[in-house]
Amino acid sequence: MSRLDAATERPAHLAGSTPEARIAMLEARLGEAHAEIAELRARDALKTQFLANISHDLRTPLTAVITHAEILRDGILGDLSPRQLESVRGIISGGRQLLTQVGEILTYARGAANQLMLVTSRFAVREVLQQVSSLNQSLLKKKRLTLWVEADPNLPPVTADREKITHIVGNLLGNAIEFTPAGGRVWLRAIRAEHEPVDSIVVEVGDSGVGISPEHHDLIFREFAQVDSTPSRPHHGTGLGLTIARKLVELHGGRIWLESELGKGSRFFFTVPVEQPE
Amino acid sequence: MARQAHVLVVEDNEHVTSALRILLEAADHRVSTAGSIGEALAVAREDPASLVLLDLTLPDGDGLSLIEPLRAAGSRAIVALTGHDDSATRERCLSAGCVDVLLKPVPARELVRRAGEWLAKA
Repeated sequence: MSRLDAATERPAHLAGSTPEARIAMLEARLGEAHAEIAELRARDALKTQFLANISHDLRTPLTAVITHAEILRDGILGDLSPRQLESVRGIISGGRQLLTQVGEILTYARGAANQLMLVTSRFAVREVLQQVSSLNQSLLKKKRLTLWVEADPNLPPVTADREKITHIVGNLLGNAIEFTPAGGRVWLRAIRAEHEPVDSIVVEVGDSGVGISPEHHDLIFREFAQVDSTPSRPHHGTGLGLTIARKLVELHGGRIWLESELGKGSRFFFTVPVEQPE
Repeated sequence: MARQAHVLVVEDNEHVTSALRILLEAADHRVSTAGSIGEALAVAREDPASLVLLDLTLPDGDGLSLIEPLRAAGSRAIVALTGHDDSATRERCLSAGCVDVLLKPVPARELVRRAGEWLAKA
């Protein structure tokens, strides 16, 4: 298509035509390209909608599995032996894990379709850090990790979507716990941001774990990315956690980044503006 | 002994329905089930429920369209059961007249506890 005509040095298909004819031809091509982009966008939206529908539809059979297992666990149909109970508890936690992953896909699909909205209230970021910390106590104990939480009680409260901020902190802490070997340290910290364009709080979620080499720092915020994506990789998940975290941070007008080196732990940071624009 | 409270479960997935039936019957409630809007109306006209657990997505339409006819037939507290965790759905249910909105899957113990609370108010 872009061969040059030897005599005119113009693309061969334009050789010998008038400028008007060439403009008309280029305009026609531009029109075709626009139509193609529109078509691809429509297909992408369809795929996103499919993702949202399917993840919603998965909740109903999962509800049946989990509720029936809870009925057995609670002895409503008679007492179970300790080993039967252990097995039923396995069904419930597996079901709940699957539910979390289905929820992540749904949130991702909504984010991709720009259907996520902020429901704001005024709250102290410190309370969120404490809440997420207490939700993770049993996991921390199981992995023999120490967690410390540090937040100045004089930090101003923020106007933000508390559920979404809790989700972000929970996701980052979940990763920190997963990627830190037993006996390590993890921490949550909130300080006043110093160099942001608007008055903000910076939240840090850090760990003394395996770390991430700098060439992967951009990759990990991309959808479906895992640093090791082979089927035998030691860590599992949808690969959407950090993409969603970034989407939720940006929805608040903040930014997210990390400082990390392989073998030297990771420190994830994100900012939350103190006020949301009207 | 007090008469058992009548709970109507409107849900089109039979496995979810059977789990809810076991739980509520174990808590000493009398349970009816319906898998569609049509069935729910037939049951409620015959035997109004003190508590209705209502799925939103039913094969013959939007579960919320049942609220007025159920009320008119004498049913009392109506609680939405949904797989949608967004605040827009919650708002839609509450403004349509549901007394509460539960996200599936509701933990078994919590469902029984909350059913007791709504029945006490109904």
